[in-house]
Amino acid sequence: MVVYSFYIFDRHAECIYKRRWLPRPVSTSGSKSSRPTSEASAPATSAPVLLGQSARTTDDDAKLIFGTVFSLRNMVRKLGGEDDNFVTYKTSQYKLHYYETPTNIKFVMLTDIKSPSMRVALQQIYINLYVEYVVKNPLSPVEHPGGVGVNNELFEESLEQFVTRVLS
Amino acid sequence: MTVFSLIIINKAGGLIYQREFQPGLRKLSTNDYLVLAGTFHGVHAITRTITPKLPLLTPTAIASTPTSASSNLASPSGTSTPIPPTTTTTTIAAATTPSVSASSYTYPILGVPATGLESLETDKFRLTCFQTLTGTKFLLFTDPHMANIEVVMKKIYDFYADFVMKNPFYQLEMPVRCEAFDRNLNGWLRGRT
Repeated sequence: MVVYSFYIFDRHAECIYKRRWLPRPVSTSGSKSSRPTSEASAPATSAPVLLGQSARTTDDDAKLIFGTVFSLRNMVRKLGGEDDNFVTYKTSQYKLHYYETPTNIKFVMLTDIKSPSMRVALQQIYINLYVEYVVKNPLSPVEHPGGVGVNNELFEESLEQFVTRVLS
Repeated sequence: MTVFSLIIINKAGGLIYQREFQPGLRKLSTNDYLVLAGTFHGVHAITRTITPKLPLLTPTAIASTPTSASSNLASPSGTSTPIPPTTTTTTIAAATTPSVSASSYTYPILGVPATGLESLETDKFRLTCFQTLTGTKFLLFTDPHMANIEVVMKKIYDFYADFVMKNPFYQLEMPVRCEAFDRNLNGWLRGRT
């Protein structure tokens, strides 16, 4: 399974952390070029292009994702009752997983459509990574405007490890 | 196997049909259903636009960067590594010609058009959305563990085609008030349970 991106939103609807992974083009775009060397170079060459031109669109993406998740959560609560939880949705191209903590911090992850339910994984990210490295950090503020306190090395490093080793 | 309810949304986002078959979901007022239909219509469009785009290599980029491939392969997150000189040249080339950067993205699954939300799962129900070629959306609320939803959806679409679209008195995009549609739908769903 492939993880495309991961977002954390706080209770003020602000995106306090976002991370995107550029997966190696698997068989899909590999059909364009069959040489193994060109497949491996794909993330390397695309990264600079991303840095250059789509810094704005990643911000916009985060806002769109928050809006989507927020609307769907409200819709689900209206229909299923206050204790119902929106877990995941799927389109023809990707799957979005959602987990909300009792303190209204929202964890969102976009993966490929073949991935199983990631509710437990998101919960683990919250319990084992977020609480450990962000909440328990004495230097971290209570709120994280602009991602202050969440973007610490320990959290980013362990999230990277969690996604690359545990999930794939 | 439980089908809670069915909602049909026309291509403009208006609610044209809403029926409850089995209790299980909360009942909303007519106004709330209209709001829900409109909201879903919008969210459906947004979920299509936030489809992740994967970088696609142009043939020129492949040719110019085979040397940098091995150095960047060591760290899977190419963002934090210093950019080798060979890649910077291609970056400049890509930045000056916007057509290159625009065409260098692809959807994760090639050959499949990006669609909006197709199915949504919660603790209590599963929402399956089927959009026809003309933009009408069928929203089916079922039990989260129900199998073969496509069969039910196909049959509902059949009924819609037979009893709504073939009804000479039905006005397009207007609320569905066809007794035969209701009757057949109810009968068929009751026969399945």
